[in-house]
Amino acid sequence: MTRLNIGKILSICIYLFLFSFPYNLNAQTDWVRWEGKETFYQLPATHNHDYTVDKSSFGMILLSVLRNTYYFFISDLDGDNCPFEPSCSAFFLQSVKETSIIKGTLMFADRFTRDLNFFKGMNHYALLASKKFSDPAYNYTLHSAKIKF
Amino acid sequence: MKIRFTAILLLSTFLFTAKAQDHLLIQSDYANNLFNSKQYYDAITEYKRLQFFDSTKTFNYEINYKIGECYKAGAKYDDAVKYFSFAELSARNEDEHFDSKTQIIRTNILRRTTDRALQLCDELEKDQRFNGKSDQINYWRGWAFILADNWEYAAKSFAKINSNHELKILAEQTDKAKVSVTFAKVISYILPGAGAIYSGKILSGLMSIGWNLLSGYWTVNSFIEDRVFDGVVVAELVWLRFYRGAIQNAEEFALEKNLEVSNKSLRYLQNEYKGIKP
Amino acid sequence: MKTKTNKRFIVAFFFLIVLLNTANCQLPTAGNIFSPQNRLQFGNFLYKDRDYLRAAEEFKEYLKNESNDTIVFRLANSYFKIGLFTEAVDNFKGLFFGSQLSEEARLLFYETIFFRNDYKSLRELADEKNYSSSKFAKEIERLKYMSYFFDNSALPDENLVLKNFPDTVQSRLVNFYQQKKFPQHKSPTTAAILSTFIPGAGKIYTGEVGDGITSLIATALTTYLAVTNFNADHQFRGWLFSGLAAFFYAGNIYGSAASAQIYNARIQFNFNKEVKLFFEQRNYFLPKIDY
Repeated sequence: MTRLNIGKILSICIYLFLFSFPYNLNAQTDWVRWEGKETFYQLPATHNHDYTVDKSSFGMILLSVLRNTYYFFISDLDGDNCPFEPSCSAFFLQSVKETSIIKGTLMFADRFTRDLNFFKGMNHYALLASKKFSDPAYNYTLHSAKIKF
Repeated sequence: MKIRFTAILLLSTFLFTAKAQDHLLIQSDYANNLFNSKQYYDAITEYKRLQFFDSTKTFNYEINYKIGECYKAGAKYDDAVKYFSFAELSARNEDEHFDSKTQIIRTNILRRTTDRALQLCDELEKDQRFNGKSDQINYWRGWAFILADNWEYAAKSFAKINSNHELKILAEQTDKAKVSVTFAKVISYILPGAGAIYSGKILSGLMSIGWNLLSGYWTVNSFIEDRVFDGVVVAELVWLRFYRGAIQNAEEFALEKNLEVSNKSLRYLQNEYKGIKP
Repeated sequence: MKTKTNKRFIVAFFFLIVLLNTANCQLPTAGNIFSPQNRLQFGNFLYKDRDYLRAAEEFKEYLKNESNDTIVFRLANSYFKIGLFTEAVDNFKGLFFGSQLSEEARLLFYETIFFRNDYKSLRELADEKNYSSSKFAKEIERLKYMSYFFDNSALPDENLVLKNFPDTVQSRLVNFYQQKKFPQHKSPTTAAILSTFIPGAGKIYTGEVGDGITSLIATALTTYLAVTNFNADHQFRGWLFSGLAAFFYAGNIYGSAASAQIYNARIQFNFNKEVKLFFEQRNYFLPKIDY
């Protein structure tokens, strides 16, 4: 035994022992099962005005038609002037849909006044990726449960 | 004596690993079947299981590479890049090293992190081990430019492979079909609405011209009739609004037109092109 | 000489066999990869790697054939980590009786209900004797009183809430308690009434000074224009500007009330954020438990 190279045996032991450790991967975050997903090469299109007519009631159809007329003859031609998202016309329609024509008009009047404020940037509006102020209609319905930040 | 000792050592090691290898091969086939049937999440589980039990790290490269492919198929590009990087580290030869590196480039292309993809292409080009693979590098460089919507540079990259390369011709045609955004804006400064007509939106352009003429007439008429306040209000709230709008629309329509042209080519590449895609 | 060499050879050979077998035991046996033991080893590896969903699947398979409280605990903890709170609660409950991990399981049971935002149930269950923990009674009590900061239930007495927390955080908690009990809200009715008398005053009351001044100017200007046009016998313009003045006036009254509501909602939102951050930074005063 003494004539055997103990160093050789020791190095073999270490060699075999080291192989018992599995490769330590970094932490995983696959905490939900997922499926394969196709990647689309196409670039995202720019968002133009939505001309869809809301058919939920006669009033909404009428308002949608009026809105589309405004879009076609004026809004599509005078550029992007509204600093808010949704725009004032879309806000008006959303307000009327959420509440009623009278309350919706009052909400729109308030929105129009806020739009006139030169220092609106100092208010607490969240800034969206499109560099517009987030000002959704559901925050102004006087139902505190609907307010979201 | 030494020979006997060495022989016994080798034999025992061989016997020890041979049995385990059978099970690992079966596991590898199982994982590959899951991958081929597009059950990527489960495939990753089985590849990880294989990796855990593969104490000799025989399958390390293939496992990391396959896990990377699974994540790529699930559009989880950050994880895909991570595993392709592991594959690169465990590559056993130059081909494996190159393959894993190109997969990282392809994943960056899909993730639209073009700068990183181009940087990696440059690194590969400078690496003297891959001097004979410049065609592949230029191919992926071209794809990086395509998905970054830079068709001119894409054409140049494909031209380095072959002056009649299918993708070079496509890139050149796409670049030629685009309109000039600057030109559209400039002509709209001179004649509001002209830029829209140049970009193909004739009705919008004519309406812009109409509004500008009408509001211009109102403004001038107001000043002629000494209604200065009315003139200022009409000029500010109507004429200037439609003038600015025409210029904005000229730019927007030109960009939209160019986007349509790009997307047409990208749709072709996605659905009809038969070559290797990212 | 030859006999001595052979003896050395045999000893070395057996030593080698023993060594290889030991190594074999150390290594995960690739014999049957899907055996319960191997599933357990792989599951533990995934668990340490924070791949909890996969780990949970391995533990589930293992527990079909074997019984192990530590693994049940790990399974429940995996579900907890990935937000599958119902499964976590069910598995923690399974360790309540007859397990060495009973106390820890009870604490994590309450923790899971807390993070499920089911504060009402938490408070009801905290008084359940069957579910209580002698080792972690304080922590559970703390969770119970912490939950009052996260929902709209009526706050109990200040001393009752604060006595469960360490002295070092008492001043902060007193502050939170006062903010929760007496929030600095603005009244929508007051805002609307102020705007009725002075257009824009309601908006200024709720902190929107710019909007208030804009409303005042818009209403005043359109009213002035209406009056001057009527005086100049321009009927159409007079009525136009009157309509606009009424539009701005009515819109401002409505907007002032809405503004007060948004102000109150913002206070609540900021308070919730601050409280959550405070408790998160202190790990909700809970010990870190893992097996």
